[in-house]
Amino acid sequence: MISKNLSAATTKPIILGILKQGNSYGYLIIKKIKELSDGKMEWSDGMLYPVLHRLEKDELIKSEWIMAENSRPRKYYQITPAGQEALMVEREQWLQVNSLLDALWDVKPTI
Amino acid sequence: MFDLEKSIKSWLRLFQKHRAFNHGAIREMELHLRDHIDDLLTQGYTQQQAFDLAVKEFGEIKPMAKEAYWSQRPKSNNNFFIHTTMLKNYFKIAVRNFIKHKFYTFVNVLGLTVGLSTVFMIGLFVSDELGFDQFHEKKELLYRVVENQYYDGQPVFPVAVTPDALGPSLYEEYPEIVHFTRASGQNYNFQLGDLKIAESNGYMVDEQFFEMFSFPIIKGTAADFKEKHNTLILTKDLSDKYFPDEDPIGKSIKLSGEDFVISAVMENVPKNSHLYFTYLTNFEKSISENPGRATNWRSNGIYTYVELSEQADLTEVNKKVINQIKKNSEGSITDIYLQPITDIYLGDVDFVVEVSRKSQMIYVQIFSIVAVFILLISCINFMNLSTARSAKRAKEVGLRKTIGAQRSQLIFQFLSESVLLTMTAVLLSVLLVALVLPSFNQLANKDFVIQELLTAESGFRLALGILLVAIATGLIAGSYPALFLSSTKPIDTLNAQSITLKRGAGLRKALVIFQFIISIVLVIGTIAIYQQLSFIQNVDLGYNKENIIYTSAPSSQVKLLTNELRGQPGIINVGRSSHHPAYVLSSSSGFIWPGQNADETFLFHYMGMDEHYPATMEMNILEGRSFLEADTATVMINEKAKAMMGLENPVGQTITAFGEQRIVGVIEDFNFKSIHSEIEPMVIFKFDRMNRVYVKYEPSQKDAIVATLENSWNKIFPEREFSYDFLEEDFQELYEAEQRTSTLSTYFAILAIIVSCLGLFGLVSYAMEQRMREIGIRKVLGASVSNLFVLLTGDFTKLILISLVISMPLGWYAMNQWLNGFAYHIELSIGMFVLSAFSALVITLLTVSYQSIRASTNNPVRALRNE
Repeated sequence: MISKNLSAATTKPIILGILKQGNSYGYLIIKKIKELSDGKMEWSDGMLYPVLHRLEKDELIKSEWIMAENSRPRKYYQITPAGQEALMVEREQWLQVNSLLDALWDVKPTI
Repeated sequence: MFDLEKSIKSWLRLFQKHRAFNHGAIREMELHLRDHIDDLLTQGYTQQQAFDLAVKEFGEIKPMAKEAYWSQRPKSNNNFFIHTTMLKNYFKIAVRNFIKHKFYTFVNVLGLTVGLSTVFMIGLFVSDELGFDQFHEKKELLYRVVENQYYDGQPVFPVAVTPDALGPSLYEEYPEIVHFTRASGQNYNFQLGDLKIAESNGYMVDEQFFEMFSFPIIKGTAADFKEKHNTLILTKDLSDKYFPDEDPIGKSIKLSGEDFVISAVMENVPKNSHLYFTYLTNFEKSISENPGRATNWRSNGIYTYVELSEQADLTEVNKKVINQIKKNSEGSITDIYLQPITDIYLGDVDFVVEVSRKSQMIYVQIFSIVAVFILLISCINFMNLSTARSAKRAKEVGLRKTIGAQRSQLIFQFLSESVLLTMTAVLLSVLLVALVLPSFNQLANKDFVIQELLTAESGFRLALGILLVAIATGLIAGSYPALFLSSTKPIDTLNAQSITLKRGAGLRKALVIFQFIISIVLVIGTIAIYQQLSFIQNVDLGYNKENIIYTSAPSSQVKLLTNELRGQPGIINVGRSSHHPAYVLSSSSGFIWPGQNADETFLFHYMGMDEHYPATMEMNILEGRSFLEADTATVMINEKAKAMMGLENPVGQTITAFGEQRIVGVIEDFNFKSIHSEIEPMVIFKFDRMNRVYVKYEPSQKDAIVATLENSWNKIFPEREFSYDFLEEDFQELYEAEQRTSTLSTYFAILAIIVSCLGLFGLVSYAMEQRMREIGIRKVLGASVSNLFVLLTGDFTKLILISLVISMPLGWYAMNQWLNGFAYHIELSIGMFVLSAFSALVITLLTVSYQSIRASTNNPVRALRNE
């Protein structure tokens, strides 16, 4: 299980990452996260929405209501160029953290 | 049975409790939940299981709301001030409202204008008073040396003048003291050609004077001031008077018969300098003529000023110099200390021989408080009128809220309205102040000039001050109405007349009471000050100051003049003395009498009179007799002196006072200083050389007496200029400060009452407007005009009665405090309070009754025809 704090910290890159693969709406996004994490992220579905709205306010993503004939209306989110840039920055930072942890834990046993 | 739709609806209702979620967000989450439930149903869950699981996985709503609100808040904040499109609308609505309700706008603006004008004028007055002596560049380093004298059995005796030798000795002994100057008032007769004028505003100073004070020299130089004894420096005005079209430098002019050469011209002394002079002469000259002065440690006659070095510490210096006089003069009981020059004008120590330009901090404080009060009163008017009339604006508020205005926006709207109104009042009051400035100058004894106030430097400060006051007033006056109006609930306003006058009525009443408390206290104060001043001016001084004219003559020939005058028609009596009767400042501690305790020091004031003087001044001899012409080595003492000496039968006893003197009489105590101070012990000598001549004339001769005197003068002193004064006029000057306060406070009290009544008038007018229908119905049902009048005025009269009850003790306390500053003062009488209560009631009733009578005599048909 991934802790609450860590989950919260990763929300932004995860949402941006999912949207980079294509436009999506709230329920699908959360479903995707659950699939990818194998249900290991300690997340309530509802917490997704304030984050989505904040990202939209910061103009990293934008939204549009899509009315399809055979299904319910959906609010689709789309990543903006600024969002893509932000994702790059996030990516860079997570890689740095990752390599730091790698260096710490991949210590080869001394002979 | 589980109802999915119902469950989803009640779940959604949980979101509505939180302001963070708008309609769109809630819809979005509803769709999320439905999608999830659909998914779960396809997986084989029942409806209820699916719903429960979806809700559980969705999580708690409260933390979500917090998170969402937190991320939204900055956005709504941004919206607050920068709605420029709305600003235009606010402005338009405000102006329309002002125009639509001309009467209330007028009452509001007038009240604020009067309030603000008062504040501005008092502001000018106060800043000028506080600015005294601030123009000296070295003001932080300049001090006057003053004395505290200690006599047994008497309170400390503060003296502003010092011995001649003090200044130089301080300068030589203490490195901290980098400059010193002595200053002694001079009185010369100027003579240039045919021009003969007595100039009384001279000072004799030391050369370092010019390095210490910032009185700039505009022409010539004071460089060799010290060496050239007959050097004279004029101020610009005096130079223009004697040398209107020529360069005065190097010119010579006769001062009391002696030639002086003008070496420099100075800028005129500013009005806000405690030291005031029109010309300066050299102190060294007096010392060269009278070398004993240089070592005089005994008699105090001159002001001493010093400049400290920047490193010097005042407390340290004061510790070092305190005994300077005692060190140099055996048996002295005098300590000295340095008084900052900026403390002189408003200082609260009542020094003996103080400069004439002196005021008191208490007046500055009283006026500042009064200014704040009057401004408060006009702010309250604004608050009361705006809140009382809130019903008129309620529809607008309701509509704005329905359309989506936030409360903060409404508050901003109403605040900007009040600031707009205040700005209008500010402009008007600046104009008003400019208009009445000349009269105000006369009242307050100032000389503010508009042009000078508008110079770059002071103009900026002034503008800043005005702006600050304007904004503060706008905010104070507008804050409560803004909060009040914006709190209206839209549903109430759109629901017909559910908002009435009743809203906020309690607070309005309290504010009216507060206004009238202030006004009534001011009225009580004014009456008390007025009574105290007339009391002072008519108090029994122990002599009669009426119908006395006086002059001074050279003491060698003064008897010729008095003898000449005694034969003249219209003259009752002529006496000579050594002092002005209200300024006896000479004192000595060296007198010895039989039975005196030799260890103690006692201070006696003393003066000289001739055998005619007591009769001329109508003084009473209580024991023994007055002086006789043949008397030598005789004195009289006053009652206080008799008491201090503790002699049962002083007449016939001998005391030592400037030689052996026999007491011939005891004179009734008379005031010889300000009425603020109590009468002190006095010994009266019959000096030979006394140059002051006091003439008592028949009251009918007032117009002729000056000519009579001048004729006699010219017979005896053909070469001398004649000058004279009336004793009564001196007293008016002596109490000028109080007189000024009295006049000013009268005006302020009147203003306060006017502004309060103005607000009341507005409130009453509005109340009548509201009750038109009620009055109409009452009339139709048979109420008489007098019934209605009582009904309508009753409410307001009650408020005034409450204010009276509260303000009486306050006024009594405040005035008692003030009166205690006088040695002789009136007792506050019940009559005074009755008078102020009565006048407050009458004024209020007048204010209220105009509208009440109008309303109650109105034809009911007019009020009811619209029903």
